[in-house]
Amino acid sequence: MKDEINDDLTRRNFLKTAASAAAFAALPGLAATAENAGPNDAVRYGFVGTGTQGCTLLRFLTTIPAGRCLATCDIYPPNLKKGVEAIGSRPDTYEDYRQLLDRKDIDAVLIATPLYLHARMVIDGLEAGKHVFIEKSMFFKEEEAEQIRKVAAAHPKQVLQVGLHRRSSVLYQVAMEMVGKGALGRVLLVQSRVTTHSSWRRPVADAKYERLINWRMYREYSGGLMAEMGSHFIDIANWAFEGEPVSVIGTGGLDYWKDGREVHDNVQSIFDYSGGGRHYFHCMLFNGHHSNGVMIMGDQGTLDITDDRGIYFREPVAKISSGPAKENWWAGATVSKAAAQKGVVIFPEKEAKDSGFVDRERRYARQWLASMGVYQPEEPYDPYWGELVNFFVSIRENKAPVVPLEIGTADAMAVIKANRAIDTGLKTSWTKKSA
Amino acid sequence: MRDAITRYEAAHQAMGTEFTLVAYGDDPQYLMAVGNEVFEEIDRLEGQMSIYRPKSELSVINRTAAARSVCVEPKLFALLVNAVDHSQSTGGAFDVTAGPLMKAWGFFRGKGRIPENSEIAQVLRRVGYRHLYLKRAERTIRFDVEGLELDLGAIGKGYAVDRAVEILRHYGVTRALVSSGTSSLYALGAPPGERAWSISLRNPYDSEKAANVIYLRDCSLSTSGNYEKFFKQGDKTYAHILNPSTGKPVENMLAAIVLAPCACDADALSTAFYVMGVERSREYLATHRDLMALFYLPRSRGQGFRRVILRSDGADAIGAFFTKTAARKRRATRKQTSKVSPSRISGAWATAR
Repeated sequence: MKDEINDDLTRRNFLKTAASAAAFAALPGLAATAENAGPNDAVRYGFVGTGTQGCTLLRFLTTIPAGRCLATCDIYPPNLKKGVEAIGSRPDTYEDYRQLLDRKDIDAVLIATPLYLHARMVIDGLEAGKHVFIEKSMFFKEEEAEQIRKVAAAHPKQVLQVGLHRRSSVLYQVAMEMVGKGALGRVLLVQSRVTTHSSWRRPVADAKYERLINWRMYREYSGGLMAEMGSHFIDIANWAFEGEPVSVIGTGGLDYWKDGREVHDNVQSIFDYSGGGRHYFHCMLFNGHHSNGVMIMGDQGTLDITDDRGIYFREPVAKISSGPAKENWWAGATVSKAAAQKGVVIFPEKEAKDSGFVDRERRYARQWLASMGVYQPEEPYDPYWGELVNFFVSIRENKAPVVPLEIGTADAMAVIKANRAIDTGLKTSWTKKSA
Repeated sequence: MRDAITRYEAAHQAMGTEFTLVAYGDDPQYLMAVGNEVFEEIDRLEGQMSIYRPKSELSVINRTAAARSVCVEPKLFALLVNAVDHSQSTGGAFDVTAGPLMKAWGFFRGKGRIPENSEIAQVLRRVGYRHLYLKRAERTIRFDVEGLELDLGAIGKGYAVDRAVEILRHYGVTRALVSSGTSSLYALGAPPGERAWSISLRNPYDSEKAANVIYLRDCSLSTSGNYEKFFKQGDKTYAHILNPSTGKPVENMLAAIVLAPCACDADALSTAFYVMGVERSREYLATHRDLMALFYLPRSRGQGFRRVILRSDGADAIGAFFTKTAARKRRATRKQTSKVSPSRISGAWATAR
């Protein structure tokens, strides 16, 4: 008797759809490229803004030989020190990023500073002849989009990459392959959320540094939850709908953490896309149920991603055709569908290149195991690591980065419009671009 | 436009499996709306009969009927009466009170386990349709033993298929096939241009191979088999169909298939015949009408299996036939065989793939 797993698999055609989508998520050979870099090939970079996010990136950078950190920069001495500790080598340190940009031996600059500084630093970096990696959101004010675009156009040989790291996540790549291949049917709704029970506040030893450390809390520097949290999922929705929104409505409030901050502690927004797609995003800081994630919902299926786990649910749909079909139906003992109702876990497929019969069977089996909770899906590498490797590879091979200007611009613009909709209570539209 | 033939196919998850509906008509919108009615009814029945949902009517009965009489919804009551009739006529081989045994063997939500004999004996004390008291006049049910549980798992899906067919007929659909996870199905009329619906009977050893192909028209078919729900311990396989009198899994049977005018009966009898085996089933068929039974029996060695077919009186009128040649051959030889004869099956009567 054949084993139960294969019996189940052969019957469930929808699994094969998921599998073929998963199989497409080939690793772009990032690991090999990163390892092969000799010392002379390494991209020499400086890092600006070594706060919490900056140090996160620096720790990933320590394992990427394709880049070599020559300098770090932060205006807050404790952070500057933390940054040096994080990278572990002995970079030169600066308080003024322009001095770092002046160095001729530096090819690239990575920027993880407060949002209001992004545009200026990106422009200065590009004009100093550096390749630029800028954390999301790409810019703070609407007019900065055009300023950055002009400068980037004037420096076409320099890589400009935006730190929307989910674009480097194999899980999300698989998800988008599923969307692209129609596994979900016609995608009409993206629901996303970031929920956490947290003050979102960093400790400040000396009150005079409050606005410097907790810049996210103040509207002078920050786009609040929409910029810091929403931008990730705005980009996911843009990716799924292959475009940017046409309008957004929103609301929000400062209802819980009334501690002197200026930005909302909960926001809700609905983005409309041309063609009928919608993206609902909400974020709150007083309840962490459901963590963060996104549900991509089509008329033939749902992909439910929470943290690092993606589960595919088939939407049963009636099929209508004209004329008689060859009817041949099966009879046998009751086929259990309990597992199908629980959804099928999708996961990155490492052996994507080989599509031999046995490998395919194994892949189906693993997927089946995954759906029973036996096999845990995992990213082959951290998306942060992936995006940083991609940056160096793009520089060395003179290729477009994974998140170029256009994607970053659409994302940052949607953040700005959503915040405007929340603040005014009005539906905010995108102006039609002239052709 | 009325000449255009539209084919509608939809699947719907309910009762732990997937119901499939194919229907032919001339208006896609109408067929979709009828399909919605069918699935809504199936969902309603699941909500009423599920033992996995504490709020279902059946769960309420299970919790209360030992303490006092419980008034039952008319259609569910009729189904329970039907179930008890089947229990009586099969000597308890079919029994809607066998649920606690399923639990003892870990087939309810669990992964399967072997209970001690003492545990089985304990459980058997609260198993048996004789503990059920159905009062038709008041439409009430009462258990005379604490811990008795009704489980309609061996009849409910067939019943749901019958209800689906009722709805299809009500809305004037004349060509359709309804299947509850392949185990109970009803063939209504025939596909356009065909005499009947073609049904492949699953090979008990290989889900992708047909052991036989059978053609159905206005007829239902149910299968009870050992190959979907089972667990293994040591060298031994324990399948989910339990003999209510011994409290242990039935052995030496791969599948029992019953053809009957309605799916509810086919469903109950396929379980009963699986438990009863060929000889007792033959006795049953000698005193009942309009039924056909097909058994797949294991060979002592290897993965081969033996087919046995049994027919009751009136079996030839129930709308099931094998290939045309087979049907002709059977007609030609019918006079030489007794009315209820076990036919040892050769390849002649059916197409085996």
